[in-house]
Amino acid sequence: MKRSMFHKVVCLILSVTFILSTFVIGASAGQYKENSTSSTLEEMKALVGTSSYEDYMADYGDTVNPSGLAPIIIPVTEFIANNGDVEITKDSEHYANSLTDHPDSWVNFGDNAETTVYLSTVNNDKKASSASWNFTVTKDMVGLYYLQIEYYNCKTSQSSVSAIQRKLMIDDKVPFAEVRSITFDKHWSYNNFTVSDPVVVTDTVEKTTTTYDQNENGYFKYVTEIYRDESDGKMKKVVTTYHITQDINGNSMAPVASESSEWSTYICSDESGYYDGYFNFYIAEGTHTLTLEAEREPVIIKSIQFRPATSVESTTPSYQEYLNTHASAQKADGGIITLEAEFPYFVSDSSVAASNDNTSAITYPITPKAQLFNVIGETGFGTVGQWAAYKFTVNKTGMYNLSMRYKQSALEGMFICRAIKLAGGNEYKYGLADGSPTAPFIEAYNARFDYSKDWQSDYVGSYVDGKKQVFEFFFEEGEEYTLYIECALGDLKDYIRTVETSLANLNEAYLKILQYTGTDPDVNQNYKFHEKLPEVLLALLQEAQTLTLVADNLQDLCGTNGAHIATLDTVARVLYTMGKDNGVKIAENLSTFKSHLGTIGTWINSSKQGSMMIDSISVVPVETNEKLPYAKANFFQSIWFEIRSFIYSFFTNYEQMGLTSIPEEGSNTIDVWLAMGRDQSQIWRSMIDAEDGFTKTYGKAVALKLVTGGTLLPSILSGKGPDVYLGLGSADVINYAIRDAVVGVNGNDPHLSEEDNKVFCNYVYEDSAGNVYYEKDALSNADAASRGLKLVSTAFDQLVADNYAPAAMRTLTIYSPDNAGKPEGQRDVTYGIPMTMSFAMMFYRMDILAELNQEVPETWDQLLEILPIFQANNMDIGVAYISALDFMMYQMGGGMWKYTDTDLYDSKYAGAKIDLDSDIALEAFEFVCRLYTDYSFPVSFNTANRFRTGEMPITIGDYASIYNTLVVYATDIAGTWEFGSLPGSIDRKTGKINYDSLAGVSATVILNSCDNMLAAWQFLQWQTSAKVQATYANRIVALIGPAAKYESANINAVMDMSWTSKEKEAIMEQMNHLNAIVNYPGSYIYSRYMQFAFLDVYNDDANAHDSMMSYIDAINAEIARKREEFGLWVPGTDGIEEPPIKSGASD
Amino acid sequence: MSLKVKKDANRPMHRDEVSKWQWTWKEMKKNKTAYFMLAPFFILFIVFTVLPVFLSIIFSLTDFNMLQMPNWKGLTNYTRLFVEDEIFMLAIQNTIIFACVTGPVSYLLSLLVAWFVNELPPKIRAVVTLVFYAPSISGQVYLIWSTLFSSDAYGWANATLMKLGIITDPILWFQDANYVMPLCIVVALWTSLGTSFLAFIAGFQIVDRSMYEAAAVDGIKNRWQELWYITLPTMRPQMMFGAVLAITNSFGFGGVVTALCGFPSVDYAAHTIMHHLDDYGGSRYEIGYASAIAVVLFIIMFGSNILVKKALSKVGE
Repeated sequence: MKRSMFHKVVCLILSVTFILSTFVIGASAGQYKENSTSSTLEEMKALVGTSSYEDYMADYGDTVNPSGLAPIIIPVTEFIANNGDVEITKDSEHYANSLTDHPDSWVNFGDNAETTVYLSTVNNDKKASSASWNFTVTKDMVGLYYLQIEYYNCKTSQSSVSAIQRKLMIDDKVPFAEVRSITFDKHWSYNNFTVSDPVVVTDTVEKTTTTYDQNENGYFKYVTEIYRDESDGKMKKVVTTYHITQDINGNSMAPVASESSEWSTYICSDESGYYDGYFNFYIAEGTHTLTLEAEREPVIIKSIQFRPATSVESTTPSYQEYLNTHASAQKADGGIITLEAEFPYFVSDSSVAASNDNTSAITYPITPKAQLFNVIGETGFGTVGQWAAYKFTVNKTGMYNLSMRYKQSALEGMFICRAIKLAGGNEYKYGLADGSPTAPFIEAYNARFDYSKDWQSDYVGSYVDGKKQVFEFFFEEGEEYTLYIECALGDLKDYIRTVETSLANLNEAYLKILQYTGTDPDVNQNYKFHEKLPEVLLALLQEAQTLTLVADNLQDLCGTNGAHIATLDTVARVLYTMGKDNGVKIAENLSTFKSHLGTIGTWINSSKQGSMMIDSISVVPVETNEKLPYAKANFFQSIWFEIRSFIYSFFTNYEQMGLTSIPEEGSNTIDVWLAMGRDQSQIWRSMIDAEDGFTKTYGKAVALKLVTGGTLLPSILSGKGPDVYLGLGSADVINYAIRDAVVGVNGNDPHLSEEDNKVFCNYVYEDSAGNVYYEKDALSNADAASRGLKLVSTAFDQLVADNYAPAAMRTLTIYSPDNAGKPEGQRDVTYGIPMTMSFAMMFYRMDILAELNQEVPETWDQLLEILPIFQANNMDIGVAYISALDFMMYQMGGGMWKYTDTDLYDSKYAGAKIDLDSDIALEAFEFVCRLYTDYSFPVSFNTANRFRTGEMPITIGDYASIYNTLVVYATDIAGTWEFGSLPGSIDRKTGKINYDSLAGVSATVILNSCDNMLAAWQFLQWQTSAKVQATYANRIVALIGPAAKYESANINAVMDMSWTSKEKEAIMEQMNHLNAIVNYPGSYIYSRYMQFAFLDVYNDDANAHDSMMSYIDAINAEIARKREEFGLWVPGTDGIEEPPIKSGASD
Repeated sequence: MSLKVKKDANRPMHRDEVSKWQWTWKEMKKNKTAYFMLAPFFILFIVFTVLPVFLSIIFSLTDFNMLQMPNWKGLTNYTRLFVEDEIFMLAIQNTIIFACVTGPVSYLLSLLVAWFVNELPPKIRAVVTLVFYAPSISGQVYLIWSTLFSSDAYGWANATLMKLGIITDPILWFQDANYVMPLCIVVALWTSLGTSFLAFIAGFQIVDRSMYEAAAVDGIKNRWQELWYITLPTMRPQMMFGAVLAITNSFGFGGVVTALCGFPSVDYAAHTIMHHLDDYGGSRYEIGYASAIAVVLFIIMFGSNILVKKALSKVGE
């Protein structure tokens, strides 16, 4: 009885304190962040309110252009720089000086002096840069225009691998949703070819032949051209050799696609593949402003024109018209020209890459011993707009077919489409004047490839009334043609668009039901949907019908009813069940409905991503005697191949994947281990071996070994450990460090010799004779040059100051007991260089916030103000309590450990006790508990799922992993969400709002068995440098796709990665608000007890304060025990219970 | 005062005439083929089972941490274990509760189910055997319990209870100290119908039919008596095998708890000796201490084995 009385009093006091404290917070809640990177309500509303092109055309589509309309040419050099860094390019020299990073890409500029404009990605304040142009339209010029921009994909320090993207606005408004982000393609090519010198030959006929060869040196393609040299009249031969190299085991190695800077023409058209032809803009009378706001990549622009609208139909002939044009051309005969698809000439982006497929014994080239590149398009070649281009020359003028050997087995029963485009020719020219390709006839947008589980070899053509029509193309003798195979939606586009509209309607219906019934409707209650939500019932029935219709039509088109199409029928049945009988079945089926919404999203996604593997492309003379390549291997070929594959599988050494030579054992070879995927390992391997890679730059070999996680510990135990390990979690780094298994890299490690420590804390120079010099400060370039010295290694302090958030370093640093005699500042030992860094950020649904008329919350108080509005609509806010417990304490100005302030305490006391019993920590803990108890935040939830459906419009979590999930899983909400920094709390110490998130770090470390510290240290510097990290991040995205964003810890690397400018701004802002929990001995213990304390409160309604306090002794005891093990100070030693405050420390 | 025996070359050596080692050596030479055939298993057994047991006994007397040279610590680890370590006491308590409930219950359950299944016609018996045996062969299938009792409001148990209006907020089943232990015991029982169950079925099959007839003649009154006096004594080896398995399983049931409740379980509610061992060996790098825990666990298992053996010898008496 007494006890409960006491409890009540405490509760009362606490609740009064709490109410008072909210007033304090509330009073300052009006403060907004300066320069916030989050979208404002206005921006979000504008975004949600933008109409689609379909609506836009409904308004303006009937406009008839007056005849003889001239293009509107916008003078590019008369720009208005809205947000920094727009420059007129003067000449190549100017750029060579101002952007020194890639001087080689500026060569082309001589001709365009002072006529082109350079648009950067971000200005000096790291904000997206934007430029505008004014133009005036008189009454007689009003009409529909298409937009054409000539651009140059320059390479500057702001470049990465992604395509150039700009937000297009006319009069400060995005005219229609589809041009919110427009993309200028870059050109990627493989520089893996050499051209021989011409030799005189005795042949008399001009001829081009292509041959392939696979041998122990690699895989080669030879293009032999015999031609008459006009200058001396002799017949000459030139051989171009393309080469795919291979590793020591004969596995093909990916050639590096490099960006080639070129002038190109962009014409604004639909990137999603739904609309053929160009987008038309209606330009009214008056003065307008055209704005290009940077999203990704810098670009140089030569001209911007609005050209009078034309439609595809009016410029591209139909197939019949095309045939009529070439009616007199004869049917060509002769041999088939086969192009191996793994040798593309150009690709649209670097993810369109050759790969290996050993599923058919007759794919060329193939061996059971190794993985040879023999196909293209296994992954990364399915998104609309991606293309691969091939060059070929025919030896006879006439009509040709195209055929392909391909495997299209992704979606059961569904066909996919590719657009066939051509460039080249003499008398009959394909493509535009600037060399960009066009479809020769309308039907070529629609080349269809049917589904089959096995390989197919068939002519390229489209379907007319259910019958295949094989295309014939006219090619001229000796002319070089470029064939583009481009991913397109073709016949599917209308269906996919219909389903997409359906999904939007159904999502809306779902949210309406949810707002009315909640997530768990009572099956037995009569909700009277027909009275309350009649429109929802109607929508359900309508969409059921739409989906059935789409499924039926697709079935007719495909001729079969595969699983993929049947999905739609299944969903339609559920919708019908829910919609009929006044919606009595809605409650029962709500969760099924929800999962089906996801199913439709996936359906749309996979239908758009129609990918197929191509082995070879054949240019087939119409009257050839030769047969098309076989589709399938015969039984004996297959079985023989399988048997050999099985046997060889025992001898494949996966550790050596990508190794080009076996490095010698020795001190100049660095043993590097990593526990990542094979793709990642292969990328590191190729980066180390590249022309500008580690080995070539530093002259030291690297033995890279892919190991499974958990191998490191036993290997150290047995003395067989590596020199360097990539990606060790910070907790493990500290665990290994206090047991002397890893080496300190800041020159303070007491276990290293003086000589070894010198390597880390100095600038290291080398002269030509190989003598090494250590310098405390960096030498000036002139100084070094005069002494003939070359900088080979940078000092730790400089490296860290330039590239890392201080928080990241804190997690890798400990105070070493053996350094106790040294002065303050030389005691901290840092045990690695951060490689990845993760931290929580806030993701929010802009469309829902706009609909509810709410700004993006910037503090927890604002968040809690929105919460009732969310909850009234059955929506939640998602944050994992484990991370909230930590960051809330740091936001409020608390910390995990006692005695860490080196101004007050001698550093030997740091971390001797946990600080969870401080006032701030307890307040933070109570606040977080209240979020889950009083404010009913869900404790357990599926972030991606609930965020996608809109049940959880705000969710907080690790930025890269949530982003990566949403990008692939929730494509139907793409563009409606953003992420920004965490909501802040009032820092109880400074009174300011603190937005801190906590960094989790994994690091690259040097193991204590390393015998060449300089080499290992050089490798660490190279591996964690901004350039290498950015290249790695970009290559991994190129290889795996947009869902493989890598969380580099190097701030400069993040700036160079393929985030949009807005995303970069947000990440940078959070990086400026980072803190970290330092690892002291025993740091594994607090998280479990914090969790226990929280669960006591949540499960058993325990008092938060008491519950936390009850675990403090246990935590401190464990910490003391661990500290004793390492000979550190513990309370009670030397009779001191509470460490003394330093003399001279000011309060 | 040793008694000298006259050696007779023709007389075979007698057991009492030589030392125990000499006798063993002689017998081994005589049966060398058998030893040779036994060798492959025996070597592996020594290297991977016997040696580690001895090693861990040695390590338990040191402060070995996997990375540095160990120091000799004497019995410090043991005194700390029994005197200072409260969580270890909790772990022993949990382990014993766990073992006492799941061990015998799963054993009896296996036996009973096997007995019932054995009564079925052969074809049906095969199917039913598979049904009961399936949970233990399909590896991680116990994870369906985490869906069933998911902490999410959409988890089956939570959703059902909320729908029925019994609760308003989702219960964190596997993170609530009140539910953790009972739930884990249920899951343990569900997966425990494994190898011992199969052994019992096999045991029932080998009982000689004529014994039942003989027993009927001798005056067995009902099926229970038949079971107790005939069936069970006949299949004592299988029962011993099943018992050993039940003991080791119930003491070593750690992985499933970790998979369901996380590590460590909330408030150490389902923290068993196995978990304590993991905690020190894994996250704290204290192999010496972890070895001491392992030795204690080994002794407990060994002891309970002897107990069970004694108990089983009473079957049928």
